[in-house]
Amino acid sequence: MKLREYEAKNVIKEAGIPVPAGFLIKSAEELTPHLGALGDAFVLKAQVDVGGRGKAGGILMAGKEDGIKTAKELFSRQIKGLPVKEILAEQRLDIQHEYYLSITVDRSNKQPLILFTEAGGVDIEITAKEHPEAIHRVIANPLMRDIPPFMIRELVGTAPKEIGQIISKLYRVFLEKDALLAEINPLVTTPEGVYAADAKLIVDDNALGRQGFFINRDLTEREREAEKHGFSYVELNGAIGVIGNGAGLTMSTLDLIEFYGGKAANFLDVGGGAESERVMHAVRLVGSVPSVKVIVVNLLGGITKCDEVAKGIIAAAIPQKVIVRLAGTNEAEGRAMLTEKGYEMLDTMDLVVKKAVAVAV
Amino acid sequence: MIYGDKKTGVLVQGATGKQGEFHIGLMNAYAKQVGGRGVVAGVTPGKGGREVHGVPVYNTVKEAMRDNDISASVIFVPAAAAADSIMEEANAGIQTIVAITEHIPVHDSMKAIAYAKMEGCSVIGPNCPGLLSPGEVKMGIMPAGLFLPGNVGVISRSGTLTYEVVDELTRAGIGQSTVVGIGGDPVIGQTFVDVLERFGNDPQTKAVVLIGEVGGNLEEEGAKSTDLPLVSYIAGISAPPDKRMGHAGAIVEGGEGDARSKIARLKKMGVPVASRPSEIPEMVRELFKGHC
Repeated sequence: MKLREYEAKNVIKEAGIPVPAGFLIKSAEELTPHLGALGDAFVLKAQVDVGGRGKAGGILMAGKEDGIKTAKELFSRQIKGLPVKEILAEQRLDIQHEYYLSITVDRSNKQPLILFTEAGGVDIEITAKEHPEAIHRVIANPLMRDIPPFMIRELVGTAPKEIGQIISKLYRVFLEKDALLAEINPLVTTPEGVYAADAKLIVDDNALGRQGFFINRDLTEREREAEKHGFSYVELNGAIGVIGNGAGLTMSTLDLIEFYGGKAANFLDVGGGAESERVMHAVRLVGSVPSVKVIVVNLLGGITKCDEVAKGIIAAAIPQKVIVRLAGTNEAEGRAMLTEKGYEMLDTMDLVVKKAVAVAV
Repeated sequence: MIYGDKKTGVLVQGATGKQGEFHIGLMNAYAKQVGGRGVVAGVTPGKGGREVHGVPVYNTVKEAMRDNDISASVIFVPAAAAADSIMEEANAGIQTIVAITEHIPVHDSMKAIAYAKMEGCSVIGPNCPGLLSPGEVKMGIMPAGLFLPGNVGVISRSGTLTYEVVDELTRAGIGQSTVVGIGGDPVIGQTFVDVLERFGNDPQTKAVVLIGEVGGNLEEEGAKSTDLPLVSYIAGISAPPDKRMGHAGAIVEGGEGDARSKIARLKKMGVPVASRPSEIPEMVRELFKGHC
């Protein structure tokens, strides 16, 4: 789950990394007491859970005189369809140079990867392509709590030495907050010292509980509802609902829908143990999506009990057509139950998907 | 076969839990069918002295190792304790660990996998279905009825999708040497590269089916690392960016790891890529005509 900017900044500030003076406001009027501290020119940043907010009009420059008016304007906006409920009002820095610093999980090495470049402020992907030599890379050892000084020296190179301390502190944040990404872009030098002008933290979804988060804000309401039942769910926008077991098989079912010219409405992985009640909840959940015209159920596995699955599908009793592919134990019983109630059961995933695409058109 | 055979003694951690108990039964039914040793001991802290399907349960891995000849293990313990289980086993001298457990925090996995490596131990998973060498050994939760002995290796980041592909291969009369589910997490122990290296040293394996999905670039790294003839399939061509598709590791981030560019890179390396699972058997047959 991605933290909002002000949350990420609070976290790194607590870890001892300097951030610009900033205040979170929930209405334009709340800005008044902070106008003195913010100085003559400051920035208003909408705190919305969406990427690319700057280009979408979510960041505005303001001054002492027009501050309240500009804040009102920003509160009235929608940023990529999301209302602005919170604004971070932040001091403007007198920037001398912009650097880039990030710590991620490197899949190939299975260890933390730290990247630092003096060519900050711009898109890191572009720098990586055009000037790969400008990016300093270090692989850290996850069994150590700190990065050894030689690695810091390798990263910092000729940049100001204070940056070394910031790297050490950000690494601690990365470990302690179960982060998948800890990024400061840009990290800036000013006449007053080094500051994190922006900060990004992504917390591992599998560690949200121990990090004190009780809901995953990256999920939509229906996705959260699905999570309560133990399903993995992703909303898409087609007409064919999909229920599968196992992430790979479910993804593959979506791909097959595209292959045959259809569009999937969702991804739903029921997970292990497809008992009748779980299957019923899954079918009802997908059936409740307004755009769904037909549902493909694709369940495979040696231990899936087909009669249980059949019971769940029948109990869900949704108006849309449900086309089923089932392989597992008690296949004959499951098939008999479904065909008796008028449901279609086909033998391969190619067949069910082809059929569903035909129904949806 | 790779990682184990009939003679491999297997330990199960989390032996007295619902999943552990259920799968000890299935693993030992398979061992009996093929004349292998199967699961010889279980571990659940505080439950030492019990038996599960006739298998003795111990409090610690070291106690189990003292009384039994064990070289591999399968872990079913809950996510919060699973990394600790991996380290306990690596420390006790187990060579191959299969971690079935899903939802282990990535930082825990990084630590446990780094520690296991230091102890010279291979970790398969986490968040995986384990492995099966038909006619030899089953370590994990794969449905044994779908498999057929043969000389095609299968490596996959997925569970049920692997069964789908194995089922297709078996129906087409194409047997498997070993099928390995390496796991759906972003950080896993054995990657495509590691398993392909084992297949490269395995005289039984003549070709490999590589089943990947969105996220990372482990598939390409694997394909680059081997001389074995390959057929690949990549799931997630319809996956939207920045959404986790069930697996913690199945996510297109920062414009990287999407299926189309993965497929393009594999094809550029000369690896045939199936556009759906049902095409795989025919492509494997083509491979045998050309190479083997």
